[in-house]
Amino acid sequence: MANLNIDSVKERTFDAIVIGSGISGGWAAKELTGNGLKTLVLERGRDVKHIKDYPTTNKMPWEFEHRGQLPSAVMEANPIVGRCYAFGEDSQHFFVKDKEHPYVQQKPFDWIRGYQVGGKSLLWARQTQRWSDFDFEGPARDGYAVDWPIRYKDIAPWYSHVEKFAGIAGNKDGLAELPDGEFLPGFPLNDVEQYFSDHLKTHYKNRHVISARCAHLSKPNQIHVDQGRTQCQNRDLCQRGCPFGGYFSSNASTIPWAEKSGNMMLRPHSVVQSIIYDEQKGKATGVRVIDSNTKEAIEYHAKIIFVNAAALNTNLVLLNSTSSRFPNGLGNDSGVLGKFVAFHNYSANIGAEYDGLKEWTVDGRSPTSGYIPRFRNVYKQETDFLRGYACTFGGYRYQQHKYEGVGASLKEGLVKGDLGPWYVGAQFMGETIPKDTNHVSLDAKLKDDWGVPLLNVSVDYDDNDEKMKKDFIEQLTEMFTSAGFKNIHPSTDHRAPGLDIHEMGGARMGKDPKTSILNEWNQVHACKNVFVTDGACMTSTSCQNPSLTYMAITARAANHAVDELKKGNLS
Amino acid sequence: MNRRTVIKNLALVISGAVLLPSCVGKDGSSYVQLKHVNIDEDGQRLIADVAETIIPKTTTPGAKDLNLPAFVLLMIDDCYDKKGQEVFVAGMKAFTAKIKKEHGKEFGDLDTKTRETILMAIEKPPVTKNKPQKNTPPDPITNFYWGVKGQTVFGYTNSQYFMTKEIVYELVPGRYVVHYPISKLKLKTA
Repeated sequence: MANLNIDSVKERTFDAIVIGSGISGGWAAKELTGNGLKTLVLERGRDVKHIKDYPTTNKMPWEFEHRGQLPSAVMEANPIVGRCYAFGEDSQHFFVKDKEHPYVQQKPFDWIRGYQVGGKSLLWARQTQRWSDFDFEGPARDGYAVDWPIRYKDIAPWYSHVEKFAGIAGNKDGLAELPDGEFLPGFPLNDVEQYFSDHLKTHYKNRHVISARCAHLSKPNQIHVDQGRTQCQNRDLCQRGCPFGGYFSSNASTIPWAEKSGNMMLRPHSVVQSIIYDEQKGKATGVRVIDSNTKEAIEYHAKIIFVNAAALNTNLVLLNSTSSRFPNGLGNDSGVLGKFVAFHNYSANIGAEYDGLKEWTVDGRSPTSGYIPRFRNVYKQETDFLRGYACTFGGYRYQQHKYEGVGASLKEGLVKGDLGPWYVGAQFMGETIPKDTNHVSLDAKLKDDWGVPLLNVSVDYDDNDEKMKKDFIEQLTEMFTSAGFKNIHPSTDHRAPGLDIHEMGGARMGKDPKTSILNEWNQVHACKNVFVTDGACMTSTSCQNPSLTYMAITARAANHAVDELKKGNLS
Repeated sequence: MNRRTVIKNLALVISGAVLLPSCVGKDGSSYVQLKHVNIDEDGQRLIADVAETIIPKTTTPGAKDLNLPAFVLLMIDDCYDKKGQEVFVAGMKAFTAKIKKEHGKEFGDLDTKTRETILMAIEKPPVTKNKPQKNTPPDPITNFYWGVKGQTVFGYTNSQYFMTKEIVYELVPGRYVVHYPISKLKLKTA
């Protein structure tokens, strides 16, 4: 990295600044540097170099002191992040610990964060389903949010653009509600998953089980080899960081690519306090950064600024960027900044057993599973709740060991055992409705170590979520029953929002500056050289895992920014 | 976010698999300095002897060979909460007293058969006419026994020996084959 002891304004001036190096920030960095822009990428956490900084990646289970379990002291000190499924002895170093970065829960909210280069792209579930016009047109059709200013045709080429580079495994399924993309070979469904897929096809009009599209190199192309990545090795240990670059992360892909261009300066340990707005010029001119090691305040300048701090932190940066022109936060003429936050409802699942297909099993491990695209309210409103849900669907068999007894017989029981039946399970992934009552704001009193106000989070479920959850249980029970599954057991929990790690909105896109923050190119309506392309920009949430859409939106906006700069529209 | 993990966990619960925590020390028989819980040398020797009764040395290594007693202690010390530790230690003391009273010896000085019989009587108590009352926590001795057994088994099945010699753990499978005949799995069936 370049010498940071730079004090002349010129040396602190770039063409572009990207705030954040996670899944969307990495894409902004790649696209901007690839177009020749000198780009400063600011990351509030430490650097994490691909492979070199994955300390646990090649450890055997017995090499972990507690064999994967976390000490009670860690769990007791981290009730929030401790609830995250991926937080374990092998991955805890990639998560923010509860005490490190406090926030104010006006209502319970499990805010799961990864403050390092790459952000949560090291930890994500790597599911990459496209949106369709059934999603983009939803708010306008059903009247529950402002209209998206873009449609599928606007983003489709950018989905293709990011899919080709990231490497997405999937099949051409030909479903209007889940458009096909640029796929590497899909991971196959196993026998029980295929059985259920076939069953649904014959019993329902629009219910499908497909192989969930995922950001894994099932068969790398040259572009992936050029990134230094190799084929996914089916380890299923992704949360440790992958030494093969088998799955897409900023660390394995976009950040080193941007670095190779020679146009990127990456600055870890850089907490962005606010964006600088120049009243005379009528635009943003840079950002104020606190070095988290030295506490030194530094200003950096650029023609354009991409805000990719992760949904809620992007809201925080914008809200904290006040000026005479924008006393309530950058671009917040409408007063909607921080509002209309939504998420995905994951608080239900259902399991069962299947007594057939006993002569078949699988060999090796799959990095993905089956996926049931949304089938409720797709073509028209048909239930007493708005929108719908997608589900994962997976089937597994296990050797059945005997744990009874002591001595030689126990030792034998732990090794021997017949293969059990197929167990199947589906996870609920429900769309939630953005509301102005679900919001984030700056705390009036409390500040963090860098003088930035703490974020108040006030986000909750509503009646629509309860009705939808009930429908999931009813429909999946019916689908499982008709497929002949036995011992069907639905399960619901009372998890707080946030644990889905799909928080979105607060700086939503829209056509009307009176009701939204961003335009159709993700530019702040009233400050066009600031672009917001992470989860904060989402007008609605649909039910697909959102990262692929953030990536496509980011690439699209970055290329638009480059075009506009060339035309002289942003200077 | 990882639905597969969720589903797997779900399935594991259904299948009744015992997933209990684990940690490893240096010498199974030597005294281990603990950080949070007070288990003296006698207590540690007892735990080692219970662990060795559960996973004895046969033609293959036993608990002491694999340093499992130190692992059990590490897990109790690190991964149990305060209340769990208190209940465990109370159970250990009650167990020690009971053995002394009924056998006049320490557990480790009894022959294998007697030790196994004692542990099995805790694991499968004789059926009484009175139905067991719901929601009553297990008595301290039962709690102590399952604590040692759970950690011993967890440590054993996650030991390098077990994962390389008894089963083959693959860090890098490099494949996912579906429609795979179960006859081709090299499972040791019951």
